[in-house]
Amino acid sequence: MTRSAAERIADVRRLQKAARNVIEHRAALVAAIVESTGLSPEGVELGLTKHVELHAHDAELAALVERAGDVTRVAVVLSANVFVGALRAVALARAASDDVVIRPSRRDPAFAQALVEAATDLGDTHVRIDDDLDIGSVEEGEIHVYGRDETIAEMRKQTRPGVRLRGHGSGMGIAWISADAHLEKAARGLADDVVVFDQRGCLSPRIALVLGDEARASALADALHAELERLDVSIPRGAVPADDRAAAGRYVATMTYACRALVGTQHAIGIAPPGAPLVLPPPYRTVHVAACSSIEEAAKLLAPLAKGVVTVGSDDAASARLLAPSWARIASLGRMQRPPLDGPVDLRDS
Amino acid sequence: MVAAFEASAPAPEPFDLLACDLARHQAAHIEGYARLCRARGVDVAKLASADDIPAVPTDAFKVTRVATFDASETVATFRTSGTTIGTRGEHALRDVSTYDAAAVAFGRHWLARDLERPVPVVVLGPSPEQAPDSSLVHMCAAFVRAFGHPAPASTTYLIDADGVLDVAAFDERVAIALARVEPMLILGTSFAFVHFVDAVGKASFDLPRGSRVMQTGGYKGRSREVPPEVLRADLARVFDLDVRSIVGEYGMTELSSQFYERTLFDDQSPLGVYAEPPWARVVPVDPDTLAPVADGAVGIAKIVDLMNVDSAVAVLTQDQVRRVGATNSGGFELLGRAAGAPPRGCSIAIDEILGRAGSGSE
Repeated sequence: MTRSAAERIADVRRLQKAARNVIEHRAALVAAIVESTGLSPEGVELGLTKHVELHAHDAELAALVERAGDVTRVAVVLSANVFVGALRAVALARAASDDVVIRPSRRDPAFAQALVEAATDLGDTHVRIDDDLDIGSVEEGEIHVYGRDETIAEMRKQTRPGVRLRGHGSGMGIAWISADAHLEKAARGLADDVVVFDQRGCLSPRIALVLGDEARASALADALHAELERLDVSIPRGAVPADDRAAAGRYVATMTYACRALVGTQHAIGIAPPGAPLVLPPPYRTVHVAACSSIEEAAKLLAPLAKGVVTVGSDDAASARLLAPSWARIASLGRMQRPPLDGPVDLRDS
Repeated sequence: MVAAFEASAPAPEPFDLLACDLARHQAAHIEGYARLCRARGVDVAKLASADDIPAVPTDAFKVTRVATFDASETVATFRTSGTTIGTRGEHALRDVSTYDAAAVAFGRHWLARDLERPVPVVVLGPSPEQAPDSSLVHMCAAFVRAFGHPAPASTTYLIDADGVLDVAAFDERVAIALARVEPMLILGTSFAFVHFVDAVGKASFDLPRGSRVMQTGGYKGRSREVPPEVLRADLARVFDLDVRSIVGEYGMTELSSQFYERTLFDDQSPLGVYAEPPWARVVPVDPDTLAPVADGAVGIAKIVDLMNVDSAVAVLTQDQVRRVGATNSGGFELLGRAAGAPPRGCSIAIDEILGRAGSGSE
């Protein structure tokens, strides 16, 4: 039986309430997420208390329902994504269908499991967990896959004819610092966006484009360095895999050679030489800062990376819109990791 | 040093001394390199060992100029094939004679030292005119000049501007070589050889006795990927050669030296172990600390290349290597890029952006 939009919104609101319950009773959950994600306890706490979409306007949920569509069944395959992403993934599936099965990430199942249990406790019997869900056995409806492009491609091969697979791949955020930006304030917001999930999310800013000359880019970098240094203490970075440590070392050496690098306790910032091609720094709190003489130059520099851009954070939404790819979300600095619950975070395929 | 090598004489100066002198030269003329040395806490004036020379990451060649001289003095610029987003690394040279002398000397040593006269040389690649910024094509052209018969470019460089392989021209060169009973030297990249093997199918091109093949490089999405041992066996079958006549070469745009498998002239040398010239040294280092790893352990290749006079005497690659035996008498195994741990989170990686770009929807 087809549900009305209002009923779907109500079902999503019930999931939000379930998430709220999970967070209110999170003591054991935090330890499990620390273990599975490698984030610090403070980092997990930050994610749970500030970055779960517990509040949403009706209009946002209406947009989510609209984007979700209406299908008989949705199978959701979660990856070791940012852990709070499970709420949005389940909400999208639940908005779309009255029959939702979730396969949590084997590496990072805790939040998704807790969320579904809490939803069941609230009377939602239309969402269940199946740790052993076989994609090839799904006979109807949709499969929502969250993960790397190659994971999505592999699952697509296993999908039966007639079943639609919706892939939600990896991505990144960039920051656009306009001519009118107050640099210290911009740096504060940007640092907040970088630190959440240790910059491992598809909304996490990896590059900051600064309208102005190299001196202005350097000033932003210095301010960001100070803000990240502060956050390195209050929200320590979690464990960094050896490969990413090595990548950060290579990035720092490259930028030291090319122009300038600032190395903090648990972060690094590279300042690009004028006009140099953009470098994508590794995650775990590494930011590439580049000066751009105009928005046109910024767009040109960004072009090779544009397909990976999911969000643009800026002090100036209007000029950010001009720079951003058409699908990218626009957010204020400091709110890049808090997109409204109006659909997938990644709107490239919407 | 190259002349001494060709004369089988000892090197005129110690490797470490030359390497450290070059590091000082480069730090004196490249502000970025001086900055990198300072950041590493290295006083170049006191450098005494090549192990202590800070290495320049290959990525630096993509974001800035790596040269001791003014751009106006550049006579050749080699560019990487673009394995990163829209950006090609550039290696500028103000004098290619050093590059050529070293390449030909070491190439002759492992590919052609037994050849008493010029032989037919065929390149499964474009001509220097078609690819003037390819260091590999430049090197192959130097080999054509040094080891080959005079022959028209159209029957020497067998991949045209559209990337089409001229199998008929290859057939013609082989037929002539067979008639003259001359061994051939075939040069090409792995992906070109894969295309060749695919093109000939089950057919074969039995090469004259004594022929040999130099294969180099990865695939970079330009052909299906084939495990090295499979490609080697395929080439041996197609060309009717012993697998030891298929010689692997390892080089990169950011370097001026190359490395070869010893298989053609050393019956004992295992496949997959590369020899260094006396003017280059491959040191596996810990990717995190950049300190040399223990003997026999895997590390990423820090390559000290004395032929990189005006760019970077020490280059940090992302290739994994393992030393086998002593430096300059043993060699190193090339183990490819680190596969890495499964990524945690959904932040995008460069390879994924490349993959999206490769899908070509825009």
